Amino acid sequence: MTVMSTPTGWGFTTAHASCSACGWSYLLPSDALPGDGSRALRCPHCFAVELSFVPEPQGGLAEKLAYTSPPELVLPFSLSPERLSQAIATFAKGIPFAPPDLNPQALAGRMKRVYLPQWLVDASLRATWRAEVGFNYEVVSHQDRYSDSAGGWRSQEVKETRIRWEPRLGQLQRVFPNLTAPALETHARLRGLVGDFDTSTAQPYQSQMANASFVRLPDRSPQDAWPDVLPGLQAAAAQQCQQACAADHQRDFRWQPEITGRNWTLLLRPLYTTYYLDDQNQPQAVIINGQTAQTSGSRRSSMKRAQRTALIILSIAVVLFAISAILALAGIAVPPLLLLGGVGVLMAVLVALGAVIPLALVWQYNRSQPGASQSLKQFAGSD
Amino acid sequence: MPDPFPPPGFAPIPSAIEGIQVYAPAPAESASQPEVVEFKCPQCGGVTAYSAQDGGLTCTYCAYYEPPEKAPVGKGAQEFEFTVETMDRAAHGWGEARKELECQSCGSIASLPLDSLTHTCAFCGSNQVIQRQASQDILRPWFLIPFKVDPAACHKLTREWMGSSWMTPASLKNLARVAEFNGVYLPYWTFDSLTSAAWKAEVGHTRTERYREGGEWKERTVVDWRWESGQVSLNHDDLIVPGTQRLSQVLLDRLKGFDFQALTPYDPKYLAGLQARAYDLPLEKAWEIAREKMRESTRQACISQASTGQVRNFSMNLDFSAESWRYVLLPIYVAAYRYQDKAFQVMVNGQTGVVAGQRPVDWTRVWLSVAALLAPGLLLSLLGLLTLIFGGVGAIIGGFGFFLLVVGVVIAVIILRQAMSMDDL
Repeated sequence: MTVMSTPTGWGFTTAHASCSACGWSYLLPSDALPGDGSRALRCPHCFAVELSFVPEPQGGLAEKLAYTSPPELVLPFSLSPERLSQAIATFAKGIPFAPPDLNPQALAGRMKRVYLPQWLVDASLRATWRAEVGFNYEVVSHQDRYSDSAGGWRSQEVKETRIRWEPRLGQLQRVFPNLTAPALETHARLRGLVGDFDTSTAQPYQSQMANASFVRLPDRSPQDAWPDVLPGLQAAAAQQCQQACAADHQRDFRWQPEITGRNWTLLLRPLYTTYYLDDQNQPQAVIINGQTAQTSGSRRSSMKRAQRTALIILSIAVVLFAISAILALAGIAVPPLLLLGGVGVLMAVLVALGAVIPLALVWQYNRSQPGASQSLKQFAGSD
Repeated sequence: MPDPFPPPGFAPIPSAIEGIQVYAPAPAESASQPEVVEFKCPQCGGVTAYSAQDGGLTCTYCAYYEPPEKAPVGKGAQEFEFTVETMDRAAHGWGEARKELECQSCGSIASLPLDSLTHTCAFCGSNQVIQRQASQDILRPWFLIPFKVDPAACHKLTREWMGSSWMTPASLKNLARVAEFNGVYLPYWTFDSLTSAAWKAEVGHTRTERYREGGEWKERTVVDWRWESGQVSLNHDDLIVPGTQRLSQVLLDRLKGFDFQALTPYDPKYLAGLQARAYDLPLEKAWEIAREKMRESTRQACISQASTGQVRNFSMNLDFSAESWRYVLLPIYVAAYRYQDKAFQVMVNGQTGVVAGQRPVDWTRVWLSVAALLAPGLLLSLLGLLTLIFGGVGAIIGGFGFFLLVVGVVIAVIILRQAMSMDDL
């Protein structure tokens, strides 16, 4: 772990850390660090290794640490403890032969708070634009009904809404604040795993918001992110031009923008992370959207537990077989016991066959879960 | 070189957001036309008027000629929808009863009824065309069919028409004193619509069946009623309804047959020296009349889909769609003529020359014809009755006489109806 003290802006003394396994780099309050190395911190993303200290940032890490300004806005962790517990319990529930470590208590005990960054840019621009705008209007139409039995025609007036399209063009000189762009290469995959965040609840940054959390640092520069801003910028400009025309609809918006200024800041989005240990004692990450509680992670059955159960069933079958064999031998002297021994052998075979069930069940369940597992692995290993 | 901004034809309009300028297509120039247009010859200062023969403005003093500037647009002429705003505005009408007009040539003031679109000064003879204000824009005439028939030709057409029926007096052609024909642009509404209908009805299928009664076989006709259904879609194109109720609707109906390919954008030059009337039948009322015609023709189309002509318990649901309308001026000559101290009205289609009007009926001729039609049948029937004492011959003569009487009555009724319709328009 690299430790760099930067007391300004964040409201507390910050430290930077980077994971050697997954490559994620963080900013966190320096008082959260184990000062003497006695209390190790696991990476709150992959949980594979403990974060280590590096004396000087070099290479890619040094580049990433260039974007450490305090954020402008933060989406606070808004889940109640009950809601979070419910999300964890739901995740851990219904897994056949679940690993012993996959239980709500263990998951809740290892829970970490991580803020994911997203770029915010205020763009000043001049542009000429052209579009077709639509205005709703009502027309009066009629639906008539004729019936011999009703004695003739009955007419009903109906109003239909139609759209009148007209060309409009103009010039624009405005500042478009807080346009968003991904600050992480894994932005799209994370979105697929935990869903969207509601940015309308964003609040101005205050130091207490981040002082017990890991803040993931951007791995995309503003230059890389700028092309991702443009579609949103055009959509915002199109919407404002529609409002300027007082129109109800718009289509075929075209413009020629000239950007005159850009100001980059960050928006932090809340994410809970935790893990459980699988059969191989490897941590399996679980991530939870800090706003919506949408949870994602690898839900694996334990083959070891299934094997143990199968072994117990097989042992019962062997015992049953032995007793049946003894009875069958005794049947030579007492013929009715021969029949009892035969039935016992048959039952022993059936029980032995039943030992396959736990193994097949786990195998089938783990096969049916590759999506989440794979996607999380991709997300974890992308850096 | 960058394109100029804004491009030609666009003008700024208010924007709802600061920092964004909005430009829209500039409004049509017609909105800034003067309310009254006066027609004077640029060469001699005399009065100019539209000439149907020359198809343009001509001066009666110096033979100055000015061709029309606008080419016909035909059936592609703009149509308007039945928007809620239009219907509201149409319901309020012009909003005033009469209009004071000061002649720009001699300064005299005339009071005009509101439905007058043109005026010829009684003092100096100058021709003036009154144009409606921009706020009433959509309800002013946008298109017209120019006069093609010369007023002089109307007299010849009328004489021919007067002599075209044997029911009119023989002397009508020669003795009728026909007044001058006045060219009038009459207001008409034209309507387009698509009617889609789904119908169902019991349709009767007739068959003959044999049955036994009293020990012998007989035949009788029975009708089997079966439910049938279908769908009809009809396109109604340029169905016209006169926009005035001050002239005989029967005569106006007979003047139909306008060729709408000749529709031309409204230009006051076409109205110079002619009369023109604005509508007095509002759009909504006219649309009701048109809708009634459209739905009735759709109903007939539905009934014609039935597999036989016997239909009962008929019902249908009808949807109007793509409804649109136009307000146009159509050319009609109006005149009156006197015959034996009675006045009769006659109209000529100013585009096609079709004549419609009232004609005096020579009732002596008509009754003599009726008598001649009925006499053979009556006489033979009486003869048959008298000769019945001689047996079968009388019955044959009487039967033939009765047949002739029935035929005579039918023809006489048709003649009488025709004569009454000519005399009583």
